[in-house]
Amino acid sequence: MSATTTRAAARGAERALVRRRLLDVRVMTVACAYVFAIYSYVQPSGYSSIYKTTAERVAFAHSFGTSKGLRLLYGLPYDLATVDGYAAWRVGGVLAIFGAVYAMLAGVRLTRTEEESGRLELVLAAPVGRSNVGWATLAAIAAGTAVAWVAQLAGLAVGGVGLGGAAYLALATVSVIPVCAAVGVLASQIAPNRALALQLAGGTVAVLFVLRVLADVVGLTWLRWLTPLGWAELLRPFAGARPEVLLLPAAATGVLLALAWRITVARDIGTGLLRDRDRSAPHLAMLGSPLGLSLRRQRGVLIAWAGTLAAFSYLLGTIAKSISPADVSKSVNREIAKLGTGSITTPTGYVAFVFSFFALFICVFVCTQVAAARREEASQRLETMLAAPLGRRRWLAGWIVLALLAAAALALACGLLGWAGTSTAGVHLGLGRLLEAGANMLPVAVLFLGIATLAYAVAPRISGPFSYALLAVAYLWELVGALTGAPRWVLDVTPFAHIGLVPVEPFRTVGALLMIAIGAAAGAAALQLFRRRDLVGD
Amino acid sequence: MPAIQTWELSKRYGETLALDRLELTIQEGEVYGYLGPNGAGKTTTIRLLLGLHRATSGRAELFGIDAWADPVRAHRRLAYVAGEPFLWPSLTAGETLEFLARLRGSDRGEDPAYRDELVKRFELDTEKKVRALSKGNRQKVQLIAALATRADLLLLDEPTSGLDPLMEVAFRQTVSEAKQRGQTVLLSSHILSEVEALCDRVGILRAGRLIEQGTLAELRHLSAQTVEATFAGPAPELAPLPGVHVTQTAPNALRFEVHGEIAPLLAALAPHQVVTLHSREPSLEEIFLRQYGQDRDEDERHDDASSGARR
Repeated sequence: MSATTTRAAARGAERALVRRRLLDVRVMTVACAYVFAIYSYVQPSGYSSIYKTTAERVAFAHSFGTSKGLRLLYGLPYDLATVDGYAAWRVGGVLAIFGAVYAMLAGVRLTRTEEESGRLELVLAAPVGRSNVGWATLAAIAAGTAVAWVAQLAGLAVGGVGLGGAAYLALATVSVIPVCAAVGVLASQIAPNRALALQLAGGTVAVLFVLRVLADVVGLTWLRWLTPLGWAELLRPFAGARPEVLLLPAAATGVLLALAWRITVARDIGTGLLRDRDRSAPHLAMLGSPLGLSLRRQRGVLIAWAGTLAAFSYLLGTIAKSISPADVSKSVNREIAKLGTGSITTPTGYVAFVFSFFALFICVFVCTQVAAARREEASQRLETMLAAPLGRRRWLAGWIVLALLAAAALALACGLLGWAGTSTAGVHLGLGRLLEAGANMLPVAVLFLGIATLAYAVAPRISGPFSYALLAVAYLWELVGALTGAPRWVLDVTPFAHIGLVPVEPFRTVGALLMIAIGAAAGAAALQLFRRRDLVGD
Repeated sequence: MPAIQTWELSKRYGETLALDRLELTIQEGEVYGYLGPNGAGKTTTIRLLLGLHRATSGRAELFGIDAWADPVRAHRRLAYVAGEPFLWPSLTAGETLEFLARLRGSDRGEDPAYRDELVKRFELDTEKKVRALSKGNRQKVQLIAALATRADLLLLDEPTSGLDPLMEVAFRQTVSEAKQRGQTVLLSSHILSEVEALCDRVGILRAGRLIEQGTLAELRHLSAQTVEATFAGPAPELAPLPGVHVTQTAPNALRFEVHGEIAPLLAALAPHQVVTLHSREPSLEEIFLRQYGQDRDEDERHDDASSGARR
């Protein structure tokens, strides 16, 4: 073979690899771009339609800008009295967190997931080197970053932010993506399996987030220099831009990837820097039933969810007092209420606002549990189980019960730790009311659990993306609707409109019962339909 | 009552007819070899028998219990080994055996002593996690779990894929024991020597249809016998005989493929100076390959005919 044809073959292989890599993360990337675009559009357009005069905007800036509770999520505001400044704060802060999580998941997906499945071996058995695979991964990360940038730019521009500023703001936001993807890639070299890689990378991203929170909320501003989420703020879109800060994410990405590369070239494929424990003495606990096995295998995941939600409840609780009701005009308060968050300037209103976020997380949690049931079927382990004298309905019902119990535990943990946090801060809301705020999230979780299970029973292959998409639409529905001034009955379509904002409002019994009834009916239908279909593999 | 009985059992996946009106009856205590190339419908049959997939038409019963309507009751009497070992990576081999045993409930509990014996026989390291096991070792986990149950019916879907020859011997021994105990076995396999060694009856599946079925003796009878003769001098010219196909393999040697009675050939050879005469029955492999070769020829002829008709 001549040198030219060898080079041509290598180029062809490289193209095929890059294509494969892009396809591997396409669903994730499209979902991320969708959220970036919609969110970037809704926020500035809503702001400019609600706060029309400068006076209103200044009043808003005053009340929101001083709220440390909000800084936790959105970051440090520079100038809330302009559409651009509002967008930078409200869009940049949230999307940077979202982008970090997306990038971390994509980094693990591109590397450790491929390797664990054995597909990487197949690729490397072809005349393709590890460096080819490395470059293809890099190309996929670059493409994901570019897609998110374009999506955010488009959303902001259509939402009324000037093109130049929008481009820079979007750049500041997506600057977290390469760094966090590199975190995922490096974690995948250290950990010998996907679960541990996700824990390492997810833990790292959580720490990076906490650093930013401490910088913005507690006032340890120098910590901002230690985290990509802080760098995104330090780029200061619309407030004396400092583009030289971009060198930090670029350098960090380079260092992390270089480290990952050094580990990759020195190790065996299929292993990590850490060793897997391949042997263990038998532990026979929880092997008595499929439910027990699920619990045993999901243990780590459940602990991670409970730990994260509990920590956030506590943290958010401790800053409940920093919300000052003073200086907020009645009209501004009314407008804030339109954002679907109630009056966040009282501690009870603030707690209700925080718990309305937790309701979303608990709904995401129940959807992940249904997705885990689907994985049992997709991997054909379910066939192994159902060949035993075990009924399908019993198996699926077991998963539902497990998801319900876990969701209830999460909700009560939120209430308990939220109470502990607010008590620490000297705000006395009463344990009962906070537990009620926790329990208040459960009816909507039951509803989504039922719907997700029904989707799984009817269309197993697409049920996961369907459930998450439905949840996203339902959650954003009220927000988008309120901002665009849609009539009440349109807003009422989403179940999130029927959750009472406990503890600031009373528990809404009728809405809750209705959600539980629909969820239970969907679940019951799912059990029947699941019994009647073929099992479907990957 | 038969262990397995199907009536016009059919399964369609979209455009593909995976199983076409299967009529299968397997008596209790029988070891049945289920043969066919990849994609012939063997796994589909087993999934229908397990009630994992729903028949498009027709039905199946296990010990008189409907496979789709009452799978749990049917499964109390059977054990299953899948073609691919799909297990839980974080459990050890021993924990997996324990879990699969407990799934069967206490009423038809397996025999722990026999399980330990099988673990020894198959040389399985029970403390190793499934994710660290090779494919063959994972397959052993499934096999031991199923064989240790002493269930009335064993559904084995290419159970020895990935096993080394030593383990293959252990497998044959274990299935022979099962047979002696009176267990019924449906053995779907590619390994024809294994089927030949173990099975009472054989069915050959092709493109979703059962094209041949019977005991090995019956199948051999249907197929050609091979007779090889060498002569003192040059091979003689024989007059054409019905059902006998002649090939010259050496200047002084002839090979005959004989369908049906062998006597006319012997009579025709009698006047000649035959030095050696070998006659052997066809192996299952030869039957299988001929079956497929023949069908392929027929298909080709059929294609030719239809393309001719178009012209």
